[in-house]
Parts: sequence; C-alpha cells; structure tokens
Amino acid sequence: MQKQQIHFVTGKGGVGKSFFAAALAQGLAKKANFSPEKNGPSKPILLAEFNDHSFYREYLGDKPVYFDLAQWTGGECLKEYAIHLLKIESLYKLFFANPISKALIDVSPGLLELAILGRATSFQRKHGPPLKYNHMVFDAFATGHFLTMFRAPSALAKIIQFGPMGEQTRSIDKWIRNPEFCHVHLVSLPEEMPATETAELYHSLKDEFGLTPKVYLNKYFFLKKEDLANEPESVKKYFTNMLEQQELAEKIFADHKIKYIPVPLIPEIETDKLLHEASEYLLKEVL
Amino acid sequence: MMKIASTTKTIICIGTGGVGKTTMAASIASGLSADKKVLVLTIDPSLRLAQALGIKPDGEVYKVKNNLYACTLNHAKAFHEFVLKAASHSATPEEIEKLLHNKLYQQLSTQLSGSQDFSALFKLNEFVHSKEYDIVILDTPPAQHTWHFLHAPEKLGQLFNEGVAQWFRDPEQKDTSLLKRILNTGTTQVLKVLENLTGSEFVKELAIFFRAIQRWQTPLEKQVWDCHKLLTAKSTEFILVTALDPSRITEALRLSAEIEKQGYNLKSIIINRVPVWITEESTLGPVVRYVKYLKALEARLLGSKSKFGPHLKVYKSHELSHNQLHVENLSDIYHRIEPI
Repeated sequence: MQKQQIHFVTGKGGVGKSFFAAALAQGLAKKANFSPEKNGPSKPILLAEFNDHSFYREYLGDKPVYFDLAQWTGGECLKEYAIHLLKIESLYKLFFANPISKALIDVSPGLLELAILGRATSFQRKHGPPLKYNHMVFDAFATGHFLTMFRAPSALAKIIQFGPMGEQTRSIDKWIRNPEFCHVHLVSLPEEMPATETAELYHSLKDEFGLTPKVYLNKYFFLKKEDLANEPESVKKYFTNMLEQQELAEKIFADHKIKYIPVPLIPEIETDKLLHEASEYLLKEVL
Repeated sequence: MMKIASTTKTIICIGTGGVGKTTMAASIASGLSADKKVLVLTIDPSLRLAQALGIKPDGEVYKVKNNLYACTLNHAKAFHEFVLKAASHSATPEEIEKLLHNKLYQQLSTQLSGSQDFSALFKLNEFVHSKEYDIVILDTPPAQHTWHFLHAPEKLGQLFNEGVAQWFRDPEQKDTSLLKRILNTGTTQVLKVLENLTGSEFVKELAIFFRAIQRWQTPLEKQVWDCHKLLTAKSTEFILVTALDPSRITEALRLSAEIEKQGYNLKSIIINRVPVWITEESTLGPVVRYVKYLKALEARLLGSKSKFGPHLKVYKSHELSHNQLHVENLSDIYHRIEPI
C-alpha cells in the first residue's frame, strides 16, 4: 500500500468544481493504471462530496467505473467519530437522538467541518475506520466556506486546549498543513470575479497554511483574436468579448504572480465524453 | 420584457452560483427604478458592478441614480447591530461586552454561514419595514446555500431555544460540575457525552455563551417570525437565475421544485448568458466547434423549458458581460430579458 494523498477541489461557486473533481479522480485512476475491465470492483480512488443533496448521483449515476463515490456530511462524520471514541452504541444514540444536542451541533461553528477533516485525515492519524485509498478527491465547499473549514481545527484548538478533542484538532491541523499529503486544487474561470476570488484564496492558503494550491483556469478558450478575423460579426463580437475576459483573468494572475493551468472548454454535452476528455487532458498536462 | 406584479414589494433573487445573479438583481432594480423607488441589496458584488453602481462594501445605502439605490451588506456590522438591538432592553453594557468577547460568539458572528444569512434577512426586513422604498431587491448567496439561507432564522432561533438555554442555565453556581446537578439524568448523560467528545473547556465556553444569549430569546423569536412572514408574503416574489449549462439547469429544476414546495412565491426563471446573438453561420475556422456547442446548448434549453412548472415564466437573457460595465448597461440588460 503506497502512501495516501488527499485532494481538496475548491473555488468560487459555479466554476465547475464538481466536474473538475470528477475529472481529477478519473485522471488519478488512470495514472494508477486502474482499468475498470482488468481491476474490477476494488478501486484505488475515492471521490467524495460534502453536499447534503448528492450532486454526483444525478450527474454520474450510482456506480461510476473509475472510482468509488461517497457522500460525506458533517453530521455523519461526527457520528462516526463519536462511535469510535465512545465505543458504546447506546451512549451515542442517546446523544444524537437528543433534539438539544442536535441543535447544538448544527449551530456550533466549525464542528461539522472539523468532523469532515477528521475523517479525511483518519488514515494518516490511524484514528477511526481506515479508508484504504491511494487518493481521496473531495469536491469541497466553495471559497469562503472552504476557508472556514480549513480554519476550524486551529480555531477550535485555541478554545479547547485540553482533552481528547484538543489533541484531535491539533493533529488534524498538522496533517492538513502537510504538503506531501494534502493538496488543494483551486478552480477558476477566465473572468474577473472568479479570478480575483481565486487570487485571494490562494494567498490565504499560502500565508495561513503554508500550502501552494494548484490553480486551474477552467473553460479556457484556446483561441486567438486572429482566429476570428474571417468570422461574421455576431460570432466575432461574442468571442472577442470572451477573449477579453480571459485576458483580464490572466492579467490578474500575472499581477499576483500565480501560475495557472488552463483547462480547455470542451465543446461536448454528454457527461461521459466530457469526463473522458478532461481526465485525458489532466493526465497529459498535470498529473 | 419581464413581468413583475404591481403589488410586489420585495424581490428575492436566488440562483445557482456563478451565473451573473448579482448583476441580474442590479439590472432588474435599475429597470424597475424607471417608475418606482428601488433599493438593491447585494452581498458580494464584483468589482466592476460595485464600480458601476458606485458603492462601497460598508453597509451604507448609496444613491446610484434618480430612483435607484444600492447597498452592499456588511455582515459583521449587521450582526452586531442586531445583537445590540436585541440586547438593549435586557442586558447591561458589561454583559454585552462579555458576550462580544466570548470566543464562540466571535466565531459564530464571523464564520457560521447561518449567521451571515440571518443578518441579510434582518437587514432586508428592516429596509422593507422602513417603507422608504417601493421595492427592495435582495441578491442571495449561491444555490448550495439557498437552503441554509431560507432556514437561517429558524436555525439561529434554535440557539435561543428555551430548551438549549435551560440546559446551561446556572444563575448562581459556577460552571459545569454544578450545572449537572440541576439537570435531569438524561440531559446529564448527554452533557457527559458532549464533554467526552469535546473536552470540558468547550462545554464551559458553551455554557457562558448560552447563558449570555438566552435572555434575547423573545426579541429574536420576533425577528425570526417577522423574517418568515416577509419571505412568505404575497407581496414577496422570488426570481431564480441560472445559466445554460445542462448541470445548472438540472440544479435550477430541483431548486425551483423545493422553493415552491416550501410555499415561497416563485414567479420567474431567468436563464442568463444565453448567446442569442449568433445569427450568422460561422466559417470553418477554429471557432466553429464552439459555435456548434453553444447552439446545441440552446436547443437543449428549449427542450427543458417545459420541465419547469406551467405557471412559471421562463425568460432568457443575453450574454452581455462587458469589461466595462456602466449603470446605463444595467437597464439595458433588464429590457432585453425576453420570454422563451
């Protein structure tokens, strides 16, 4: 068993995070020489989403062939942690069935996010049920909420200095700061607002956690203005505008000295074809 | 052009992320301001939109032009305002000071997503009730949060719930060990589990926090009720903004069904950034595959129109993202929204 690595995919809402995370998972599976025909049901890659309502079940169907699919909610992760720690089923049942503790967990800032990070790092910390995957890819929360999640361990560690949870939070915090183990993939679009938000998050992650995220410009047009010279007016107008937006985003990254990887806009509607092309591209250019 | 009922006083723009929802909210505001006094409340406008409107992110109301006003909500400030308002009758300045320094309060007020949503609703409610504007338009956080957003008042209300407060009520004695004595056995067990899970310090912080806020239960409940009344009022209209992408349309269909199920007054769907301008055939240059793709998306859109309920009006809006956005463009965007 090789060492495990985890990948958080984040970015502004609507930039194509979920799609990118699926393409990344598929690319990583191909890189591990996993083939659905040869290797059968035991998969080295996990793709997990944190949504309360599953996006992937609608988007990919129940059983994608390249990776295992999971839905991790904060509540469920917390419960798992509680069972692991308390070991007595009746106790946690009592705890989680109590409407007051439910309300309390719901509103306790960062507790659910912490539980998710706890599970994401459980293999390394040898704490909790083992998740024996080579890579775990997370379709994580959007920018602001993502930062809240990453800050949760250190924030709670300050409040809880002692006791089991204090130890846990410090160890989780240590692991998410380990660049060999934890990777952040920042997805952006070739437009001003996503690019600006990406640059801010990039600096926060670098300054606060010492991580250098990989930045991607999704839906990138590999076009030049010259390519449009002979096009009719309406086509020229639209794509010139798109290219100007793209240049603006590229300038923002240049100003912030951020290297980025362009991920082309794939003019396909079918999910299978889209994922195939995108994962091949990532395999060739990034992984 | 898009239809807004003449009785509508509040418009709530919801939508999937990254589809130009904020610009759309501002455009509708600008269009309607031709014959009404309109305020648009935004949460996080793009730089170019903020510049076009001439607003700063300080929670103040700015006059944009004639009858159009805009404000970027400042969450921390709004939440603080709410706390002070709620506490003014029941807490001493020292007590308020103590709460403001509680670590959990600080996290709650700055980081918990629910509190951000709550303060947006709190401000919306305040502006609507001030009766200073004919229409107030609120731009909400992206779709994944819409649910949290609409439930924010209840969620925060739970914090002040009598049961929770009672749990930690400890008027004379000091802290956790004595706390347990006044609780019944079941609750003591639960509290013990919580302590096991988190450590006793966390429970101590919780106790201080809950004791500080329990007295605001009544003002908060009133707020929660007011927000709920406003969201479900006949004069409140929801507009869902989405984009051409198949996965966005799927998300929008789900969201619209949920919104209606909860009894909110959803009237219109706007599919934004539909490139209706491609009128001519492209040559065979490198751009041709993109043009084909966009046309295929549009054809698909016509197919999905019928999936939205028959009582919903479905509109499309042109792609008009300029690097330079002017206030004049905004009304233009509004006037070019057309039914599918």
